Amino acid sequence: MSDPGTIGAALAAQGISRRSLLKYTAYLASVLALPPMASRAMAEALANTKRQSVIWLSFQECTGCTESLTRSFSPTLEDMIFNLISLDYHETLMAASGDAAEAAMQAAREANKGKFVLVVDGSVSTGANGIYSTNHGKTNLETLKEVAADAAAVLSVGTCAAFGGIPYAKPNPTGAVPVSEIVTDKPVVNIPGCPPIPEAIAATVAYFVTFGKLPELDHLHRPKSFFGDTIHDRCYRRPFYDKGQFAKSFDDEGARAGWCLYELGCKGPVTYNACATTKWNGGVSFPIQSGHGCLGCSEPGFWDRGSFYKPLSAAVMGNRTLIGGAALAGVAAGAASVALARKRRQAALAEQAAAQKKAQEKTE
Amino acid sequence: MTAESPRTGLADSLLRQIAEALATLHAKGTRDAIDLRSLPLTAADRAELEEALGRGEVSARLEIAGQSELWETAYAGVWWLRHMGVGDQVAAESIEITPLPDLLASHPDDIGLAAARLTAELQDKAEEARHV
Repeated sequence: MSDPGTIGAALAAQGISRRSLLKYTAYLASVLALPPMASRAMAEALANTKRQSVIWLSFQECTGCTESLTRSFSPTLEDMIFNLISLDYHETLMAASGDAAEAAMQAAREANKGKFVLVVDGSVSTGANGIYSTNHGKTNLETLKEVAADAAAVLSVGTCAAFGGIPYAKPNPTGAVPVSEIVTDKPVVNIPGCPPIPEAIAATVAYFVTFGKLPELDHLHRPKSFFGDTIHDRCYRRPFYDKGQFAKSFDDEGARAGWCLYELGCKGPVTYNACATTKWNGGVSFPIQSGHGCLGCSEPGFWDRGSFYKPLSAAVMGNRTLIGGAALAGVAAGAASVALARKRRQAALAEQAAAQKKAQEKTE
Repeated sequence: MTAESPRTGLADSLLRQIAEALATLHAKGTRDAIDLRSLPLTAADRAELEEALGRGEVSARLEIAGQSELWETAYAGVWWLRHMGVGDQVAAESIEITPLPDLLASHPDDIGLAAARLTAELQDKAEEARHV
């Protein structure tokens, strides 16, 4: 029988059978790209683990990230994450407010010092000492420094927390910066997206609860299981791209036939995210399936990288060497962007290999 | 999207993998599983695989955190598991090569709780009977 205070005991107290946990871990193993046989061991480990204390801070943000995680239509598999965690502080979701809310956070910090997961959505204002965004008489900057000091790990949820996002866009009047610029002495995981995919948030937390460590990350500190491939790599419109069949406008015959949206500004070839496989609203669709190109919202500085409606060969996400390539047509234009994406990926992998080698040498 | 769903040949590859895993289960008792959701199966591939494996003697529908459907295929020891999530979309789908999927078996902790509950209910009834 599970010990009191464990996830297994909490589920039993709610009359939820262990089958639910097994089903959830099967789902987690799938979205985290773990071997399917891992689900059994994950379920046993989770049942005997205490619920993970989570403190969620919201800074310069729109609450879209919270909506992403909590919005569902019925109690389902995706809601199981809330059985694994104890959400001890979240301004939007908690019943308490004012001093009582702050006292709850203080109590959670003290009870779980060095063990809680700090989730942050929103960028951090640093202009005029951070005075542009405050809560309970403190700037977000002060709060982040204080709370992160006691955390086991920090999850920067959404592009604003991960890379600065929209507040960071020019002219950045508040001096917004990503969380990783402030928190430099703790592991920081970035789960970008505007909003981020809810499965990526939930699965990353669940991975930490199950294994007591963070999942494998890429060069931008994003979980590889969700950010390992470009949208383009996994896009169902990819066969049209390979054949050089591109929609020229949003209502032409090509668009109606589901052809590639590259020439309409799709940033899928240079955007790493799982939208094309995990999709949205429980797997119903994603922007490209709904007829609009990818905006590249999970990449750093996406708001300042040229028009959403110009092809990559014109806008190129900051790479000026390809400007002028707009005249290129069909496959040739596509090939250039894929080469860019591959080059970028190879560079990232080389960087990671070098870092691993360095770490290994240090250990030896 | 009006393009037709092509057959890629992935179903054939999976059938060979399943056959090998099934032979191993028989010889050594080693269980295996294949996560279908992570594979780039087209709708035609999926239909081909489902048709090739067929349906066997056992099927079950579970109502836990959304619906799940499990069935033993026409090949004993090869089970198809389909879990639905939000909006009845497939959230996870796998093929397990096992005598019995864990999801069907009652967990010892649940059995312990059930035994305690049933004993308590019987004691309550006995108590009520004494007061009548």
